[in-house]
Amino acid sequence: MAIECLVLGAGQEVGKSCVVVTINGKRIMFDCGMHMGYLDDRRYPDFSLIPRNAAEDFTSSLSCIIITHFHLDHIGALPYFTEVCGYKGPIYMTYPTKALAPLMLEDYRKVMVDRRGEEEQFSSKDIVECMKRVTAVDLKQTVQVDKDLQIRAYYAGHVLGAAMFYAKVGDAAMVYTGDYNMTADRHLGAAQIDRLHLDLVITESTYATTLRESKYVREREFLKAVHNCVACGGKVLIPSFALGRAQELCMLLDDYWERMNLKIPIYFSAGLTIQANVYYKTLINWTSQKVKDSYATRNPFNFRNVCKFECSLINAPGPCVLFATPGMISGGFSLEVFKQWAPDEVNLITLPGYCVAGTVGHRLMSAKTPTQVNIDQNTQIDVRCQIHQLSFSPHTDAKGIMDLIKFLSPKHVILVHGEKPKMESLKGKIESDFDMQCHVPANNETVSIPSTHYVKADASSAFLKSTWSPNFKFVTERSRGNLITDDMDMISKPVLRVRDDRVAEGILTTGKHQNPKIVHLKELVHTSGLETHDVQFALCFPVRITKMDEQQQLNPVSQESLPFLHQLFLKLSNNFSEATIQESDQNLQIESFIVSVCSKEKCPHRMNDGPDYTYEAVHFCCTWSGADEKLARNVISFMKNLVLNKC
Amino acid sequence: MVMEQRLLADAQFLLLGSQRHPRLLSSPHAALQPLLPLITSPGASLPTLSSLLKTLTLQLQCTTTTHLPRIVLSLLSALSDHHPDLRREISLAVRAFALRLLPFSPSSSFAHSLAILFKDADTSSDVTDEPTFLSICFRPCKASLRRWLLQNVDKFCVRPSVLIAVLLGFTKDPYPLTRKAALDGLVWLSDKFVAVEDQSLLQCCYFSAAELLFDAEDSVRCSAVRTVSEWGLLLVESNQDKCKIDWSDALFVQLCSMVRDMSMKVRTEAFDALAKVPMVSQNVLLLTLTKKATSATKEITFPGRYAAKIYKLPASAAAFAFIHGLEDEFFEVRRSACCALRTFAIAYGDFACEAVNLLMDMLNDDSVVVRLLALETMHHMAMYDCLKVQEGHLHMLLGALVDDSTLIRSAAMKILQLIRLHKLAMFKLCFEGLVRNLELYPQDEADLLSVLLNIGQNHGWFVAHLIQENTEKIEPSLGGRLGFESARIVALLVLAISAPVSIERGICSIPPRMYSYAVTLLGRISDGLIGTLNQNDLLSHLSRCSRFSCVSSSEFFRGEESAVPLVKSDTSLYPKNDGIHGSCSQRLLELERVVHPIANYPLKIHDEMESSMGNILQKIHSLWPLIRCGFADEATRTLRSWKKQLKTFTCDSSEPTAELVFVLQYLRTIKLLGRVWIRCMFPLKPCFGVRKLEVLFRKLERSLKEMKYRFLGFSSEQELHILELILVTLILKLSNVKACCPSTNLKEISSVVTRVEHLVGGRSVELSSFVIELQKILREIGPSTAVLENALLLQKSLEYYTLRQFMFSGILVHVAAKLDVYNNYENPLHYVLGLPAGIPIEITLRNISRESRIWLKMTFKEKLAQFVYLDLHGLSGGDECRKFTFVAPFFGPPKARSFLLKISIGMECSSEPPYRSNVCGGPKHELINISGDSEVFLTRVGG
Repeated sequence: MAIECLVLGAGQEVGKSCVVVTINGKRIMFDCGMHMGYLDDRRYPDFSLIPRNAAEDFTSSLSCIIITHFHLDHIGALPYFTEVCGYKGPIYMTYPTKALAPLMLEDYRKVMVDRRGEEEQFSSKDIVECMKRVTAVDLKQTVQVDKDLQIRAYYAGHVLGAAMFYAKVGDAAMVYTGDYNMTADRHLGAAQIDRLHLDLVITESTYATTLRESKYVREREFLKAVHNCVACGGKVLIPSFALGRAQELCMLLDDYWERMNLKIPIYFSAGLTIQANVYYKTLINWTSQKVKDSYATRNPFNFRNVCKFECSLINAPGPCVLFATPGMISGGFSLEVFKQWAPDEVNLITLPGYCVAGTVGHRLMSAKTPTQVNIDQNTQIDVRCQIHQLSFSPHTDAKGIMDLIKFLSPKHVILVHGEKPKMESLKGKIESDFDMQCHVPANNETVSIPSTHYVKADASSAFLKSTWSPNFKFVTERSRGNLITDDMDMISKPVLRVRDDRVAEGILTTGKHQNPKIVHLKELVHTSGLETHDVQFALCFPVRITKMDEQQQLNPVSQESLPFLHQLFLKLSNNFSEATIQESDQNLQIESFIVSVCSKEKCPHRMNDGPDYTYEAVHFCCTWSGADEKLARNVISFMKNLVLNKC
Repeated sequence: MVMEQRLLADAQFLLLGSQRHPRLLSSPHAALQPLLPLITSPGASLPTLSSLLKTLTLQLQCTTTTHLPRIVLSLLSALSDHHPDLRREISLAVRAFALRLLPFSPSSSFAHSLAILFKDADTSSDVTDEPTFLSICFRPCKASLRRWLLQNVDKFCVRPSVLIAVLLGFTKDPYPLTRKAALDGLVWLSDKFVAVEDQSLLQCCYFSAAELLFDAEDSVRCSAVRTVSEWGLLLVESNQDKCKIDWSDALFVQLCSMVRDMSMKVRTEAFDALAKVPMVSQNVLLLTLTKKATSATKEITFPGRYAAKIYKLPASAAAFAFIHGLEDEFFEVRRSACCALRTFAIAYGDFACEAVNLLMDMLNDDSVVVRLLALETMHHMAMYDCLKVQEGHLHMLLGALVDDSTLIRSAAMKILQLIRLHKLAMFKLCFEGLVRNLELYPQDEADLLSVLLNIGQNHGWFVAHLIQENTEKIEPSLGGRLGFESARIVALLVLAISAPVSIERGICSIPPRMYSYAVTLLGRISDGLIGTLNQNDLLSHLSRCSRFSCVSSSEFFRGEESAVPLVKSDTSLYPKNDGIHGSCSQRLLELERVVHPIANYPLKIHDEMESSMGNILQKIHSLWPLIRCGFADEATRTLRSWKKQLKTFTCDSSEPTAELVFVLQYLRTIKLLGRVWIRCMFPLKPCFGVRKLEVLFRKLERSLKEMKYRFLGFSSEQELHILELILVTLILKLSNVKACCPSTNLKEISSVVTRVEHLVGGRSVELSSFVIELQKILREIGPSTAVLENALLLQKSLEYYTLRQFMFSGILVHVAAKLDVYNNYENPLHYVLGLPAGIPIEITLRNISRESRIWLKMTFKEKLAQFVYLDLHGLSGGDECRKFTFVAPFFGPPKARSFLLKISIGMECSSEPPYRSNVCGGPKHELINISGDSEVFLTRVGG
């Protein structure tokens, strides 16, 4: 059995996330995104590569589609795939994603068709139709897609409604993370998942090598920059995306304003931002713990210091803070305000951490202030204002990725959604640190990894019964696995370890035309119809005897008339007081060790190679089974040094 | 009552009928449930209850149905809860029932009966003994019963050695809750396990628990963290020296690896556990504040678990641990992380510097609780004197001053009055922040003025500077009106009046009219000093100061000597835990000093000093209980304030008296002893590394020796007092400093005890219980060599030690020497390369007998010391004072163009054991420095 991963997008790149995974015959498509950097065929994943029989359509070849969050590079191609390519099967996403995705798709469609005048890839109706097919899921809700396939969503941070998805078919299980954030910010929590037994984790790796600073540092820098600016009477422009960053920064400012008793107005430009706030207010359950905690007293998205902005306010005197879309100052309202405010050095403009080449934001980032920015052929702006670059990001950093993988401890890891050289470096780190196989497939490549497959076996009642009671063993081990002992002068002695062997005593038996069965060790002989063989040891050897008078000097209490066997019994009882010795007429018995006086001249067990003895002796013949080897050795060596009285 | 009877009759009918009632058989629960109100009702009569008990007991004896015992037992349990006087009878019945069940496969009824038995504390029953426990554990039974058993492991009488094996085994159980119960049992056991000799057993427990850190179940991981912590601490404890530190590091890193767990409880538990780790290497600790492993830590690995399959723990697992904790989503985790951070920040200086950056940033957190926590942590650090505030930090701290929340503001103020500001710019910034606060929150005025007063006292010169800059702002404007309603002016005036309190001789730097201006604010200012000064005292202080002029200060005060009552305070001398109170009493002491002595100056200075010293000596022993209970910093602060108080006398009189020097030395010794005591007796408190403790010990010993040798004329009581202090130090050192040689130390102890006995011999002086106990223990030990045990035994005697009052009697004489070298950087001495350099020194010796062996010690670059013996026999003058000029030869000067030589005079203490490494020709015994270091500059003559 194997898990096949066909990477249709986001393989060694960022954009059009799409991975088709086949587990035990079930085929799932994770994300169906589009690439924003291309306008040709490359903008969509190459769906024709999805394995299917000639007559099959996508609906029958895919069990389901799972969308992790509403960003276009994760959902952009969905209407195209369902309405144009004809996939009619189930689609799963979280409730907030289902609510917000149509807005994003419609917004994008408008930009493409209305502004750039491109041919439309899908219509508004397509979006509506596509969304009708979507099944919304809740966090940690296990959804039985069909008889064999289970999926479950886990909180991923990143944006409102983002989720990681767990999928399980039979015994094979995997997690697809989508984009996630391992540290909570003001409005969203950190990713949260259970420890699961996984064969595979497919994780994003946007910041495969970046190590990010503490969030407190970036918050302080941002607040300081804004505060300094407004304290000097300047205006602050915060160009931002409608969802996510705007709320995060606004929450930060709103809190700060409250705390510091600042009375300077904060404005939200009209548009998506205000509408987005409505979603945040209703989807409190998907936000951070802090928001949830304070929700009982006040909805933190009801910003106390925010007022509505009107265009006439752009040139109103006095300081203010303004949130405006779009984030990279590529046009729209933020560009409008930028033109007005950039020439004044008391003003401040914040830039997001990443700006696409060609936008004003990108030009500002790469230039030094003061500078001149050409908006178009006719407009040139002297930028004299201060520029502050934000370092907020909703993606986890390299340490976060490592932490998640360490926590989940899957057997294999596949990295997607990142840049190749950085992914290679992370892959090396994962392999060396965790001793785990890691893959970084390119687009349209397939990775095949083995999956877990359990065999169902019957169990005998004796075995079952044995598993009811514990069966501890303590063993000492010198070193273990890859425990290297060079720096281990701390561990001088072998390490004591405890084991519970109750299951280890089971034995898996299989026969022709039989189900495999586990029986207990003790039953094995009986069930397999075999005979038991015991190994028996025997030895015949002389023991010295002395005459009476000689002995009497040594031992004043006479034991003259006692038979050899009884004399031996007395001596053994003295020396092996803890053992039970049974005495009969012919022999003595300790456990399986039996000793008797041997009168045969040619006893087959007689030891001939010993030193010749000249003294008088009596021969004892001993037998014992292998289990009592140690005991037998002790008794024999004791007997060899004995001197018995002659009868 | 009727109801009662009916219920009882009904029950008896049901339970005791000749045949089982069908109702009882079909649903026993519903049938017997009505009895519960009867049991729980407070008014139930005793006869009814006892007949009910009888019925139930009877039922228990003959029960056959499987459901019945359960409900009967739960009724009995309720009965036992509500009527303790029936408990005895109930336990007897239940015990019989349990014993009857014992041979069968254990059932939940059995557990239920045991639970009832446990309620009766004084039944030592044969159903809770070891064989029963083991037999139930190992027989096939339901997982829930086994879990119950492990959860109640403390109620059974099982030998620890057996229990540990059983619990260890159950950490491998397939049922998660059983594993958890086993781990919890191990935690419980770790507390009970007194003497753990077997390293491998300790390691076994530690590693078994570490394995479960990767369990799939959250609750198991949570318990595993606790187990790892407890057994890790035992493991650390059981090791010596280097291994001890390594294991401590290993434990620290292992716990750090859990701070990124997905379960909030595990993370909280991990930080709680981290706070308990006794020590950790600095480089590992610093790693917790950065993501990148430094070259020093990159290669280090520890035994432990890194991931489910990785059995080697790299030090880098600790990276960023604290930051993760402090920026955690959950408040609980942040709180625990903050507490853990606090422990380490106090103990490790470098870490504290880094941590302050983080804590300052946390002041931007959105939750008031977290901000408060960060501030409290800083306050704590400031109390331990390890808060180093940089100029960049002030911005954040002052931000907290204008915070919306009163709690935050007052916490920030508490910190501000404790920190030291290094630059005038910082001081000004601080002042501006406080003024802004005063403007924004007039309700804080009282607290704020008190803070200003405090800050002013701590930064006298800055105050003088600031006032001088702002004098014209305070002056009345043209219209003759004072702008005192302005917050700034008020703040400036408060600062102004705080100034003379801390600047001993610069009192004139504040224009006296400031005090008269301040009088107009009397009401407001004295509000800030509630509990310290009353308004009248303040008024007289101000009015006096306002008449004060630099020309003839003393004249103004003459003739009104007793006009000002000495400020008496009812507040206890122990500074409270909270900083404001602490510094209040300190301030009080300072004010007291200023208000009073100035009035009598200079005639009564000597009396004043004596009464001051007497006061202190009278109070000092009352600090001991504080130290004993672990409040070293409080005691230290009081000692420090006393020292400050006494120091003023050293500035005024030309030659301090021997008594004064002695008391100062005594204060210093007690301060050191207090610190050492805390480190040793409270090892779980944030402690330093071993090195620092050794340094402390060295300082303490030196201080004690100086007390012993540099003063002459002690009475036997006084000497006894000092010898006891020495004994305490030696005992503490024996059990806590690994580097010291235990056998020599032990010898020293016995020799000091002998000296004590000699002193007491035949006199009426009584031995303290401490010495008596010590004698007893020493006799017990005899010549045995088991040092470790001895150390523990000896440490027991410390329980009897208390600091007694030091009584002054007779006249003390201070042994001292003075070096005068007429030379400085501009006028160096000259020498010729290759020849010994001659250094003319003027030496004054005081109170040194002719028999003393005095050495001149010359040190070049800390390395090489040369000793010159000073023969006193040929000198004139008495013992009290000898003055002579001596040309000391310095051999083999270095080839440098010029160099610096440190010289000092030391006295050999002949009663100390001789030096082991005897420098050729140098002193044979330890030297006590009696002069302080002087510096000599030498320059080569010619090429």
